[in-house]
Amino acid sequence: MSAAGPSQGANHAPSGGVGAHSSATAGAPILTVENLVTEFRTGGGWHPAVRNVSFAVQHNETLAIVGESGCGKSVTALSIMGLLPPANGRIAGGHIGFAELDLVTLDEEEMRRIRGDRISMIFQEPMTSLNPVLTVGFQVAEALRYHRDMGRREADAAALELLDQVKIPSARARFADYPHQFSGGMRQRVMIAMALACRPELLLADEPTTALDVTIQAEVLALLAELKTAYGMAMIFITHNLGVVASIADRVAAMYAGEIVETAPVDDLFAHPTHPYTELLLRSIPRVDRDMGGLTTIAGQVPAISAMPWGCRFAPRCPFREPVCTSRDPVLVPLPDAPDHQVRCWLRAPPAEGGHA
Amino acid sequence: MNEGTTLTPAAPRASSYVLQQVVRAFSANATSWVGLVTFLFVVALALLAPLISPYDPLEQDILARLQGPSAAHWFGTDSFGRDILSRLLWGARLSLVISTVSILAAMLIGGIIGIVSGYVGGRFDMVVMQAMDVLLSFPSLIMGLMVVAMLGASMGNLMIAIALTAIAPFARIARAPTILVKERDYIEACRALGYSDLRIMTIHILPNIVAEILVMGSLWLATAIRIEASLSFIGLGVRPPTPTWGGMIREGFENILDSASLSIFPSLAILLVVFSLNMLGDGLRDAIDPKLRGGER
Repeated sequence: MSAAGPSQGANHAPSGGVGAHSSATAGAPILTVENLVTEFRTGGGWHPAVRNVSFAVQHNETLAIVGESGCGKSVTALSIMGLLPPANGRIAGGHIGFAELDLVTLDEEEMRRIRGDRISMIFQEPMTSLNPVLTVGFQVAEALRYHRDMGRREADAAALELLDQVKIPSARARFADYPHQFSGGMRQRVMIAMALACRPELLLADEPTTALDVTIQAEVLALLAELKTAYGMAMIFITHNLGVVASIADRVAAMYAGEIVETAPVDDLFAHPTHPYTELLLRSIPRVDRDMGGLTTIAGQVPAISAMPWGCRFAPRCPFREPVCTSRDPVLVPLPDAPDHQVRCWLRAPPAEGGHA
Repeated sequence: MNEGTTLTPAAPRASSYVLQQVVRAFSANATSWVGLVTFLFVVALALLAPLISPYDPLEQDILARLQGPSAAHWFGTDSFGRDILSRLLWGARLSLVISTVSILAAMLIGGIIGIVSGYVGGRFDMVVMQAMDVLLSFPSLIMGLMVVAMLGASMGNLMIAIALTAIAPFARIARAPTILVKERDYIEACRALGYSDLRIMTIHILPNIVAEILVMGSLWLATAIRIEASLSFIGLGVRPPTPTWGGMIREGFENILDSASLSIFPSLAILLVVFSLNMLGDGLRDAIDPKLRGGER
């Protein structure tokens, strides 16, 4: 399977920025993140918020990144977008291969041409992500006028079509409305229309449904899934909501404290969560079909990036902790019976004999 | 939906929202209407000066000097027998042009400095704002004296002097909301859409803060008229015999014991315009601030 991606991708993907594969080749991932390290400056020193993260996303595939707040999901997305705060954030290592490019090596001007055109992003807060003084139609058309050099008329027509596609009722009548005249769900649809205006090859959705109420969530998720298939684009869906993951993702990467601790096809992950963190995460979802004896919680919280524990970063909160966990860093290794399913844990997925350092 | 049908021009213009807000703010506050109508009345008089002024403002009639108000000269005549009403009307043109041009220039330059400084932030912002503070520390009369001493007294230099005093306040008034707005999610969304900094500043930030700059502008227009009058009064403005309000007060001052109307009428004219602009600006500000802030979410 091509999805064995991360470690395999490391072999032929760009070290100097010239990728060997073209984006059109079936099976070649559209995005290959390798050993990404993103650091932030806090209290005078640089500390990694994302450490050695590797994954790949295919065309027409949805990768969900799940984890608690502060585990590095959003930072990973911002690293791909090149939108880290310039003063106190930086990519300290690794590569982000996108189609034929290595995004890490591009300058701001080149990145700007890709953003909003070939890679788009949707944010969490639809209520504040639209400019209150510009009409909805203008904001959707703007992306097309900017990236596609369309004239006003042409862009407006295309924007209207987009608003129809994201199922804004009577889009024509609402074209000249201002954002405050729209509900949260409708605004998120507008955001989606803006992000998809230039038909991006990759869409980053950073908790796009978290701020919406549940019925609207389902509608927006269905819309995203439908548009993803229609456009054949790759999607990275960032969330802390495992219920959402189950309904939209093809593959899941669970992140903890800046590292991917487990990655697997979605069914596999839900059926056989292997890393203790993933397992506990799944167990802490409230279920209607079980007795509510009590909700499982994971004791403790994500360590601060300036005070990362040695060895396995989850060890201090892990109920199965053993001495090896706190002395050496575990590695992400495939499970023997499922190469697609990779886990970073000394106990549940011990590396093959002599295989790794 | 039918495809390719004609799209009703939706006029998605940045200004329309601001305009709506301004109109709404106006209707909410009667004093701003009074201010606006009074000011427009003065502007109309100034524009119509060539048509409605009864005499040539420079024409001397030495036999009719220092007269009080009469049917022939409504506001009386000055020491050269020139008609004060005509001089007031023509002087309004000059005073209004000088203050408007200088304030527009200050608005433009100060606005650009403020937005760029607030948007870029960091050390650049600090240096620029400290320079603005230095500029701000000069009283307008001292600034006027300095400019005129360096460049000479003329209409153009008067405008430069007034603009220089007003740049710093406009830079500050533009910077503060820029700093607020640039942290908003929709500006982050603009970056995610790959828009250039210039585009973000002009299309996405400017319409959000332009109302505040305009309100400030109406208040500063009044100040500019006062500065112009003050500088003309101490002889640093437009050269006589060209009529300006400040110059007229000074000329009248020399003969104040013979005919008080010489100074009183131009003073009243200044009072009227400054008062109307302050009413306009104050009303506008009171009405627009809570509305703009509250209406966004």
